[in-house]
Amino acid sequence: MSDTAGNGAVLVVGGGISGLTAALEAAEVGNDVYIIDKNPYFGGRVAQLNQYFPKLCPPTCGLEINFKRVKDNRKVRTYTMTTVTSVSGGPGNYEVTLETAPRYVNSNCTACGDCAEVCTDEIDNAFNFGMNKTKAIYLPHEMAFPRRFVLDKDACSADCLEAIKGACKYNAIDTEMQAKTFTVNVGSIVWATGWDPYDAGKLDNLKPESSPAIITNMMMERMAADNGPTGGKILRPGDDKEIESIAFVQCAGSRDENHLEFCSYICCMATFKQMTYVRERYPEAKIYVFYIDLRTPGKYEKFREKLMNDENSEFIKGKVADIIAEDDGGVTMVAENAVTGAKVHQKVDMCVLATGMQPALGDQGKALGVNMDGNGFVVSEPDKGMIAAGCAKSAADVYTSAQSATAAALKAIQIGR
Amino acid sequence: MSMNVQPDINFIKDMKEAGGDTLKKCFQCATCSVVCPLSSDDNPFPRREMIFAQWGLKDKLIGDPNVFLCHQCGDCSAYCPRGAKPGDVLGAIRAYSYKHFGWPAGLANLASSGKNLPILIAIPAVIIFIFWLISGGMHFPSTEEFVHAGYGHFFGHWNFGLLAKNVLFIDILMLSAAGVAVYSVFKGVTALWKKMAENAGVGEALYKPSIPQFVKEFLWPSVVEIVQHDRFRECKTNADRVRGHLPLMWAFMALAFVTAYSAFAQDVLGIFIPSLHGPMSLWNPVKIVANVAAIALVVGTGILWGNRSQMEADGLASKTFYDWFLIWMIMGVGVTGIGAELFRLIGLVSIGYVTYFLHLVAVMMLFLYMPYTKFAHIVYRTAAMAFERYRDSAYVKNPLNEE
Repeated sequence: MSDTAGNGAVLVVGGGISGLTAALEAAEVGNDVYIIDKNPYFGGRVAQLNQYFPKLCPPTCGLEINFKRVKDNRKVRTYTMTTVTSVSGGPGNYEVTLETAPRYVNSNCTACGDCAEVCTDEIDNAFNFGMNKTKAIYLPHEMAFPRRFVLDKDACSADCLEAIKGACKYNAIDTEMQAKTFTVNVGSIVWATGWDPYDAGKLDNLKPESSPAIITNMMMERMAADNGPTGGKILRPGDDKEIESIAFVQCAGSRDENHLEFCSYICCMATFKQMTYVRERYPEAKIYVFYIDLRTPGKYEKFREKLMNDENSEFIKGKVADIIAEDDGGVTMVAENAVTGAKVHQKVDMCVLATGMQPALGDQGKALGVNMDGNGFVVSEPDKGMIAAGCAKSAADVYTSAQSATAAALKAIQIGR
Repeated sequence: MSMNVQPDINFIKDMKEAGGDTLKKCFQCATCSVVCPLSSDDNPFPRREMIFAQWGLKDKLIGDPNVFLCHQCGDCSAYCPRGAKPGDVLGAIRAYSYKHFGWPAGLANLASSGKNLPILIAIPAVIIFIFWLISGGMHFPSTEEFVHAGYGHFFGHWNFGLLAKNVLFIDILMLSAAGVAVYSVFKGVTALWKKMAENAGVGEALYKPSIPQFVKEFLWPSVVEIVQHDRFRECKTNADRVRGHLPLMWAFMALAFVTAYSAFAQDVLGIFIPSLHGPMSLWNPVKIVANVAAIALVVGTGILWGNRSQMEADGLASKTFYDWFLIWMIMGVGVTGIGAELFRLIGLVSIGYVTYFLHLVAVMMLFLYMPYTKFAHIVYRTAAMAFERYRDSAYVKNPLNEE
């Protein structure tokens, strides 16, 4: 496959649901598209979810069709483990330098898994937020696209590397692989760089390090997922207790000028959704939701109504501002109930911090000449062929992200025609 | 539940002027009530006070003990997700309360605004100047006389009946200023207590504590707590303030003792033993206490000064006249007091006399404006702490005590 393209080519930075959508929309009307992702796989945050809105589908549902469209479309060129190092030129004629980090596994890989069998070294499983281990040579997750293993060379001993090489029947392991820099010429760039879960460690008053019973909503997604670290069971990390009570801490870092100034849009809905995960597994468990306001835009209001009628659930208007780790492994939430005007000390088996969306592009975006607002979201400049899509543009759900990605594609293809 | 909200617009305007202009940013998440180390489980603050202030519910706030239980630790403002600075808002409500309960109202209003600073200085300055003028003592003494009598001849030096003239003049000035202040603050604190009882729904109790019972069970434990700075030490964000406030408080107590002793020795005993008039020896134990206290006063105030500047620079506190006026006044008293003593010791007559004049002005300001400025907290906060104990006591809580 060639690295050159015709006029009006589009670079899509980020291969999550927004990037995939933008890339396909642009490619399917005939434009050449490069799509890159810094991860060794496409699918982004959606791939990590157990279910996603609006229909509570598993991620395979939306991602597989998109992967198939990408594979079938000769206009789309895909690059994983790839980042942008510089952008020059102007609208219609950008020259972008990209760098692909070494995967140490070449395209001969058939994902047979023989290498992982013999691999003796393990690393934290980043896909599962470190809740379990994976072999140092691994398939990032079951439906990873591209379906190819990746090697964490630094985590492997020399013996282990030898064993891995020896186990591969296809000569796919290349431990001498180097980072590769290359340039592409494109008319416009779609920034679909997505988001990272806000670092819960920064919420010092909630002391998330003080107890393994304090998890984040994204960890909850992995736990609830069949392909997650607990095989879909919701168990308290640390002692694997089946929970009898759980608390959700809304606005954990969002709507807070000390952390993320903005409302992350999805956390209230994520909590309602995760209430259903808990309910399916533990019909009797007590659920406590601590909130400032519950924001359930549009038709999601129905979903809120349904869950607020749950008999074993309590909604407390008051932000949790202190969490106390208890000796029995549980945690006590401290908040003031603004309706009754008294403080609440609620002990639960486990609590979920509904952390928000931190725009993932960060300071690097500014260095590349991307226009960003004070919160780190990308501000589209369609005239300049710099267009934001999905959560890089604003905190949004999957449905809204796909919409904005389609819109971004429409703007991108108008440059350099 | 319905609530008839009738906001007092002027109250909100006053809030803004006194450094509470951030109050409208509050979105009632209640983080503040939890991170506040002084907030109790049954009566948490300052979240509730924030919405009362937003709604202009002045009536609820002026009778709210929580407003005075707040020590402005700053933890609430540090963790506030909106920059609403609840600590500053409660400070502004306190400033408003002192003005509201202050008598006479004209003086209370005057003392609440930085625009009036020249007048606030001029009032005692002019009064003392006129007294100095009519006393006939308005001339600089010889160096010999200065060494011998110190400032004892400031208002002249002949005896007026049995009382030294100087003593009489000082008493007329300071006792009347203090008298007005004591009357005013007593009136204010009584009104505050009534309002607190009314707002807390403390009705007519069948059993009321007698005065000794009240002192023993509610007032004295509060005073002990204050002297030990127990609550102040709970503060996290502004914990450093204890290092300034503690020496300052002890200095005040020591200086009150020294002044009382000096007044007794000069005004009463001095009638019979004239040698008690004039400056004390530097090695007199009372003088040593006085000098140590004076230094503690200046150092303590200096620490608070630096602390507040730092808080303002860090955006943790707003700059308000209400906070600074007290710091300036106390610093003024300390610096002019030590200055006057030093000039006396090295025999600089004219500079010494002028410094002493300024010292009298500063002391009179402190006395006179005590009920309306931040200084009033020593009375109002003590009352609120006693009320908090009273509210939770069997006198109020015991159902047998209800009609």
